[in-house]
Amino acid sequence: MPFDPTTEPNRRPPAEIDRRSLLKLMGASLSLAGLVGCTGSHDENALPYVRQPEGVTPGIAKWYATAVTFCGLAQPVLGKTYTGRPVKLEGNPDHPAAQGKSDAFTQAALLGLYDPNRSRGPRRLGTPVGWASFRRWATENAAAMDRRRGEGFRLLTGPFSSPTLARQIRALLARWPLARWHILDDGLFTAERAATQSLFGQSLTLQPSFDQASTILAIEDDFLGPGPRQTLNAVQFGAARRKGDRRMQLLVAEAVPSATGAVADQRLALAPDEAATLLRALAARLGLGIDAPAPGSQQEAWISKALATAAQDRTLLTVGTTQPAALVKLGLLINERLGALGRTLHFSPSPFESLQAESIADLVADMAAGKVETLLCLDTNPVYHALPDLDFTAALGKLPLLLHAGLHFDETAARAQWHLPLQHDLESWSDARAVDGTTVILQPLVRPFFDVRSRHGLLDIIAGGEGNDDRALVSGTWRNAWGEAFEEKWRAALFKGFVEGSRPETLSPAVRDRSLELETKSPPRQGLTALIRPDATVWDGVFSENAWLQETPKPLSKLVWENVVQIAPALAARHGLADGDMVEVSDGHIRLQGPVFIATGQADETLALTLGYGRAIAGGLSEGIGHDAGLLRRSSTPWRCDGLTLTPLGKTVPLAFTQPHQQQEGRDFVRSVTAREKAVETDIAAADFYPPRPPQDPSWGMTIDLDLCIGCNACVTACQAENNIPVVGKAMVAQGRAMHWLRVDHYTDGPGDAFQPVPCMHCEQAPCEMGCPVNAAVHSIDGLNLQVYNRCIGTRTCSSSCPYKVRRFNWFDYTAGDADSVQAMRNPQVTVRSRGVMEKCTYCVQRIEEARIAADRENQPLGEVVTACQQACPTQAIVFGNIADPGSHVSRTKADPRNYTLLEEANTRPRTTYLARIRPEDGEG
Amino acid sequence: MSDFSRQADRAITEDIVSIPLDFPHPRLWRLFFGMSLALLGCFFVSAAVLFVDGVGVWGINIPVNWGLAIANYVWFLGIGHAGTLISALLLIAGGHWRNSLNRFAEAMTLCAVACAGLYPILHLGRPWLFYWMAPYPNTMDLWPQFKSPLAWDFFAVLTYLIVSLLFWYIGIVPDLAALRDRAKSRGRQVVYGLLALGWRGSGRHWARWQQAYRLTAAIAVPLVVSVHSEISLLFAAGPVPGWNSTVFPPYFVLGAAFSGFAVVLMIAIAIRHPLGLDRLVTDRHLDRLALFLLATGLMTAYGYLAEVFDALYSGEGPDIDTLRDRLTGTYAYSYWAAVIFNFLPLQMLWFARLRRKPLLLFLVALSVTVGMWFERFMLLTTALYRDRLVSSWGEYSPSHWEWALFLGMLGVFLTPYLLFVRYLPVISAFEVKEAYRKTGRLEDA
Repeated sequence: MPFDPTTEPNRRPPAEIDRRSLLKLMGASLSLAGLVGCTGSHDENALPYVRQPEGVTPGIAKWYATAVTFCGLAQPVLGKTYTGRPVKLEGNPDHPAAQGKSDAFTQAALLGLYDPNRSRGPRRLGTPVGWASFRRWATENAAAMDRRRGEGFRLLTGPFSSPTLARQIRALLARWPLARWHILDDGLFTAERAATQSLFGQSLTLQPSFDQASTILAIEDDFLGPGPRQTLNAVQFGAARRKGDRRMQLLVAEAVPSATGAVADQRLALAPDEAATLLRALAARLGLGIDAPAPGSQQEAWISKALATAAQDRTLLTVGTTQPAALVKLGLLINERLGALGRTLHFSPSPFESLQAESIADLVADMAAGKVETLLCLDTNPVYHALPDLDFTAALGKLPLLLHAGLHFDETAARAQWHLPLQHDLESWSDARAVDGTTVILQPLVRPFFDVRSRHGLLDIIAGGEGNDDRALVSGTWRNAWGEAFEEKWRAALFKGFVEGSRPETLSPAVRDRSLELETKSPPRQGLTALIRPDATVWDGVFSENAWLQETPKPLSKLVWENVVQIAPALAARHGLADGDMVEVSDGHIRLQGPVFIATGQADETLALTLGYGRAIAGGLSEGIGHDAGLLRRSSTPWRCDGLTLTPLGKTVPLAFTQPHQQQEGRDFVRSVTAREKAVETDIAAADFYPPRPPQDPSWGMTIDLDLCIGCNACVTACQAENNIPVVGKAMVAQGRAMHWLRVDHYTDGPGDAFQPVPCMHCEQAPCEMGCPVNAAVHSIDGLNLQVYNRCIGTRTCSSSCPYKVRRFNWFDYTAGDADSVQAMRNPQVTVRSRGVMEKCTYCVQRIEEARIAADRENQPLGEVVTACQQACPTQAIVFGNIADPGSHVSRTKADPRNYTLLEEANTRPRTTYLARIRPEDGEG
Repeated sequence: MSDFSRQADRAITEDIVSIPLDFPHPRLWRLFFGMSLALLGCFFVSAAVLFVDGVGVWGINIPVNWGLAIANYVWFLGIGHAGTLISALLLIAGGHWRNSLNRFAEAMTLCAVACAGLYPILHLGRPWLFYWMAPYPNTMDLWPQFKSPLAWDFFAVLTYLIVSLLFWYIGIVPDLAALRDRAKSRGRQVVYGLLALGWRGSGRHWARWQQAYRLTAAIAVPLVVSVHSEISLLFAAGPVPGWNSTVFPPYFVLGAAFSGFAVVLMIAIAIRHPLGLDRLVTDRHLDRLALFLLATGLMTAYGYLAEVFDALYSGEGPDIDTLRDRLTGTYAYSYWAAVIFNFLPLQMLWFARLRRKPLLLFLVALSVTVGMWFERFMLLTTALYRDRLVSSWGEYSPSHWEWALFLGMLGVFLTPYLLFVRYLPVISAFEVKEAYRKTGRLEDA
């Protein structure tokens, strides 16, 4: 029977690395390095984050600072390892671009390391071979290339920021002058580069300071949504919103509902072409000397509100990178007029090293012309990712030799003569820059599980080297740069997780050219416009194989394991469509089929499509899921496609939601107050038959500030990693059996859209505890509502009684079928639950106990305990701590007049409470 | 003692005791028994799948994490109540007409309680640990949590099973002796002889027997009320809107008696003619049963009204929402099916003429049995599928394994019952005789 990933992702075919060889591997590394020496089973030259303990104590975690890369940029992390096994990633608190926080992608990168479907060894024509045989080929090839000065050799990479990789490529190109290097760019920064080039005469990266702004105007810019800047933006956004009286105002205009729009103080739904109108009108009102057509009344209101708030203080206007460069430039001019440049908007040199590469269009042209003999695709997947109008796949037919190096045996690998598996970031030496430009040295948390090479090692092999000393390759770059100070700086960089002082100075470039090449009139549109965006959970497909991310609900729709054709209610009504109805989207040539999802707040004549699905990774999780919206992209307009038709197919498929109902139905789960009257009203007098419990110190409690939550799912994925939460697959989720202990509820009829993270409430009068016949649901003295797994017999009475429905049940043995590598990833401090057992959020009891044990041992008062969700939350919406201590952060947030209890009428006295959202004053919103 | 009454005694004994010794319709019985064995096989297959794969093979989920299993548990247990009610309560209250009905009604109770007892075990996430609900000495030093209605459940069902079994067995001992005495084959003599526990019908035997039987009856009577009251607390003791209501205990007990009388009526009609018992189970008995059915049915209907009133009078948003979900929501069909099947055909029983039409009575009773099943299903799902927090709303549809287990459970019910009908006296011969002597009428016996 073929393996069906949509139903049984955990029951994977037996891994090639079996338990025995894994144990052997771990055993060998332990005895080699761990028990004999004092450096642990990680790479001998990696340095622990804080201090190096004498010898490895099993059960005591060690932390190493490193980074994972996303879109070519570093996401700085600290990796927690137990006896050489990384089990959790947390944002690096010292790194200015992370500040200890992270996004869902970074949290899930851990599973990427252990992904059982990763490629495990080189293949020639699909058949496994050894690296020796590839090296033989590479040595011969290098010799031939030396003779022919690299003629016919091409290298294709994605965008990257690694100075070492750049150094290697430059060296290779110097040695083989006729060889050429091309880039398959993701286009995320194209408009920004073009706009700065045009305005300032140099290609720069925008560095907005959301924390410095008192008003933010975001036009088609989901800056709080997923992306390489999400963590930093969200950290700054959180800081700006926490400013109390001077709380920042956010005005958003967008066509497709986004996380940013959801948390906006005012959101305007725009047709795709109206972004230009709005910007021009705004520019005209600011006296930029632009003639603008009169905007509609809603736009007029938005602009008035924007200008009214903007006039007061520091304002920042952002235009999304999916918009044409001319609009981004207009946005920069408006910012200049608003006085934002140098105050709320800064510029820095691009962190990318891949800017010198030639475009992929040149490569395809040369391939078609037969000028290319050998193409090495280094960590890039052009067969899937190249825009379809380039016709890369057709040009492949004329290519004699294709080499593919990547983490998976993906679409390009399937077409390649040589497939060369790469190391994951967490097991390799490398370097990269974060979004702010700060350099991170990536050090391995663990030796590679499989027979894989790093990107640096692979390039070294291509150049005829051994390719087995990645550390030397990376340190070589920095030895050149630092000279004498190398040893000290290198140690410091590994220790702290980044190179101190490497953050480039922000620039204040002079404006050179204010001319605008705006289309004066938007062309008449026929048909529908698709807005194509990277997916919120699998991005452009780089995370397709990551089961955690596949099962992370999309922030707004709460869908998992697929992409949909998202449309506005008006369009749905016109075609008589409901959620899950299959439609065909066509531009006349390309036809995509997918289920419809109806989103309120979307512009009427648009389709919102996301990338990253419709994959063909043989035997992979993502095979056969969703449609490839990338097929509609064009090089000229990569983020939109006009002139589409929508045809209902008359079929309906079930959609897998983690939250099928997203209206509050007139109830007030998400409460709101105005900035002026900050107190939440409560009309329920708590009644109690029982005498109050004596106050205990500590008493654990949590607050979640709904004004700060941006629904980014970082907490959900962090919780999944911390607590060994299994993935159950689409069919199970559709049946209401998702396992996430922490869910983020989303309501479309709150004060605007609203997110509400719901962990266990840890009720003081917990209804779940009363019903359990076997004492499996019990209360701890410090206020935790505990679930004793090995006592549970699975009557599920607790879940029936739970008003918040936060309990999750193991309907099957979800964990027994886990691949060996996935078993190695589990947090050893958290029990792996078996079949038939109820589970739920524990307030990370393992972290509490760890702190308690440490405090007892040192005879010190109990220090701060940080839960996994709180740790990850980039806006610091989640606060956890001891409510018995009046000075604790959580006690202060509980004293906030905005503090309220979810389902207060149930009188369960939850320890988890919420801080109400702040809505615009009546009449303003 | 007159010859006349001796003759009558003998005739009654003959009528009843000859059935197991010389079964009137062996081929018909084999046909039914074969079918029930097939159903029993279905039970074993679906239970095996359940045990091997886990309770996830059912359609239950979060929020509806109890499904057919618990609905059927309540349904089966309710059906069982009529047996105890007829036997014990009427024994003590002196309703002589019960004597023609009590034996097969009690046997029905036993089978139904066995089915009911299996369901909560099957529905557990880890069914092999069900005994953790019992207070037994163990190295973990742990007892059940006595605050939990489920712990009470465990005691209630177990007590009910034991008391019903004892009551039924004590009652059948004299008739087993009669069977032993009349059995022709050696094998039967031995088996019936062992089961008869050496009963010789001496005066001392009868005196002891009277004590034991009446005492067990006195224990069983409160169970009629307490067991189902307790089962209702499984729902009512929790904070779930739509369950958390004080009307639940009487509502459940009356519903239980209602469904139980329906099943007793069906069995009486089904067996009296094929087994030639028309003289003993008369139209008058059916009439009495029908009246009880009507009475308990009306009381159950009052429970429906009280529940609606309760929700509206409370003014609590969640309770009113659950009421609306019941009347108009996804599972409204189960509410209206319960109302229609339970109470609409029932109204025919107001007419004495119709109460003596066996086929009609059978159909009315069948309708009530189905209606009460819908009621149990409705009570369960409508409260759970839309709980307080909208974000956790979800729907439930039973999987085919749940239906298979339900079918199989009918086999668990029918197989021992058919064995009882075939091999044991279905009517209490000596009690009928006793009643006959007291009243002089077989109709009242």
